[in-house]
Amino acid sequence: MARCLLLFVGFALVLSTTATELRGSETVWSGLVIAENVAQPQPIPPELTGIERPLKRLFGYNQFQVIGQSRKELQTGQEDWLATSKFFGLHVDAHGESRAGYVLNLKLYKEKELLLETDAKLSKRSPLLIKGPQVGGGQLLLVLVVQ
Amino acid sequence: MKTFEEKWTAWLDGRLSDRELAEFEASLPDKAAAEAEKTEVKKLGALLKRELGAQALLNEEFFNHQIREKIARESTGESRKREVEVSPWWTIRRLLWTGTASLAVFLVMAIFVMRDKNPAEQSQYLTQILNARVDPVVSPNATISMFETKEDQVTVLWTEGLQSLPADYAAK
Repeated sequence: MARCLLLFVGFALVLSTTATELRGSETVWSGLVIAENVAQPQPIPPELTGIERPLKRLFGYNQFQVIGQSRKELQTGQEDWLATSKFFGLHVDAHGESRAGYVLNLKLYKEKELLLETDAKLSKRSPLLIKGPQVGGGQLLLVLVVQ
Repeated sequence: MKTFEEKWTAWLDGRLSDRELAEFEASLPDKAAAEAEKTEVKKLGALLKRELGAQALLNEEFFNHQIREKIARESTGESRKREVEVSPWWTIRRLLWTGTASLAVFLVMAIFVMRDKNPAEQSQYLTQILNARVDPVVSPNATISMFETKEDQVTVLWTEGLQSLPADYAAK
């Protein structure tokens, strides 16, 4: 009976591990986006198609262009990465994973100058949109999505 | 030369020859008392014989008991042998049972994982902004607010009054 129980526990552990691996790692897409109103708007980038409606509705622009991006596959939830454009840099530092999402520290730099810092718990189903500074006639937006 | 006791014992057992018997009986002071004692001794002998026969019966019972124990031991041995012979079948059954139970656990976990992975399902969790700050030196008039739109499932950090930048900063 004890051997049987041990065998069962072994099987369950192996299968549970397999199931956990099936869950797999998740990818966080981080983007620096310039939103503008133009006469002939470009099609929305594929990375933003899932949030096109809230982007347009909330910020009131008709064109969104990605000027910098990073796609990071999270294995441990402790990674950090950088999405950069020519002048801006978005540093993302992950501080672990929970059922609710990833705990992230975000820092927006203009060259080496820190403009904005925030801590957020990024849900796997809920994108984070950050309104950044005015850039020319448009707006810098920071977008984070768990894919 | 036999002693009186030897002749007496032989007389009781009826092992004296005729001449010895005549001589011994003639030497007895009270022949009637001796005959009576002989009768008593014979009765005692019969009694002992009977008792010895009963003891033999006890030995027989003991023997029977020994045989029964042996049979019982052999039966137990046979039973164990049979158990050993059938043990592989039990192992296979246990293996099947274990496999089935493990598969059930796997399916439960797989369903749990697949449900969690289903993008169509609305999550109960929205992104939460824990805190936010701007550099007061760079943007002294900046304000920050945050809100969630459950309809679109997005969380927004809204800033106002950040330092405006020329269009060149929109470069890739």
